[in-house]
Amino acid sequence: MKTPPEDHDLLRWLDGEMSAAERERFDARLAADPALKAEADMMQRLSADLRTHLPAEMPVPYGDFFNSQIQRRLAQEEDQAPVRVPASAGWLSWLRLQWLAPVGLAAVLIAAGLTTLKQGGIGIPEGGSDTYVHSIYVPNTAVHASTYHSTDAKATVLMLDGLEEMPADRKIVGFNITRGEVDQDVAATTLFDAEDNAVAVISKDARSQPVLLTSSPAR
Amino acid sequence: MKPVPAFTVPSHTRRSALLAGLALLASLSTPVTHGQGTPPVQPLPSKKPDTDAKVWGALVFASNDPKEAASMPKVDVPPEFADIPARLGKVFPYKHIDVIGQHLQDVFREYESWVVPTKDLFLKVDSKGPAKEGGMNLHLQFWRDQQVIVKTDAVLKAETPLFIAGPKWRGGQLLFVLVLQKGS
Repeated sequence: MKTPPEDHDLLRWLDGEMSAAERERFDARLAADPALKAEADMMQRLSADLRTHLPAEMPVPYGDFFNSQIQRRLAQEEDQAPVRVPASAGWLSWLRLQWLAPVGLAAVLIAAGLTTLKQGGIGIPEGGSDTYVHSIYVPNTAVHASTYHSTDAKATVLMLDGLEEMPADRKIVGFNITRGEVDQDVAATTLFDAEDNAVAVISKDARSQPVLLTSSPAR
Repeated sequence: MKPVPAFTVPSHTRRSALLAGLALLASLSTPVTHGQGTPPVQPLPSKKPDTDAKVWGALVFASNDPKEAASMPKVDVPPEFADIPARLGKVFPYKHIDVIGQHLQDVFREYESWVVPTKDLFLKVDSKGPAKEGGMNLHLQFWRDQQVIVKTDAVLKAETPLFIAGPKWRGGQLLFVLVLQKGS
């Protein structure tokens, strides 16, 4: 195992931070030390592979969601008190590698995402003033659901990615319903507009799927 | 041997027939369709079921196309929910955000409740009682026609609406909003 100064030199060499004289001296060391040369080659390949496969900039989907998750994780870690001492200077130097920054960011985002999955909902403390989603189930595996709290909108957002688009020729017209009354004998609900006109009746069929009958002509 | 009835109508068929009858009555009683006087309202049970809260559901069309936005019939949003389009705009970056359907509905204590701002996208709401620190525990099912898109358990609080990102449509997107009415 190399000592930290060697590690540091190797990282500076990889990052192109050495002066010409330093680089010349380090190249001589590489030539004299096959193990160091092998490690340097391996790290160069790894760095090149990462640069190839990772975009220089990664768009963060649903920024509010990730911000809220990261802020929450930070707050939790602060609450957990003990000051963490870095494992070693070598590890810190490792994290300082520019090419590792996207990987570090991805790890933080994945950790935030895993926390969300574990909770099955958003990262808002239960019992606060915000709407809280406990659990989500999406029958269609092609659809991905996620939820977060938008502080800007002061709203809880349920995102559904991968939904099939509504056909453009489908005419969607909204109702203006002011109340619905349930008929307990047949478990049907009649929906009324502001003028107390029955607009629609909704119930469920034998498969527990909704049956909606409207008084409007077919659209 | 037990005698077999000559003809049995399955229960779901009877229900369908009844619903069809209800719909026919509704159809006959709607001036929007026929442009005639106010018709009689469908008779309902005299005892009203208990309720836990009241929710407002809305269908919103968000678009960047001014022509599409202008062509959509809108509804007048009650003043207490008038800020919802602006708040939606902070989450969904569209230029035009219009409420095209809405439904104010009691949440029944013992029965399922339906929030139907349009016949295309609607929500089934089951009350699971008041939450400890305010708001309502609800089981929600978001439906598109006869397909359930998502099922979720949530605590809905009056201060924070729930925005559901629906399907894309005509270059824009359909959004669903659910709000717990204050003081309900």
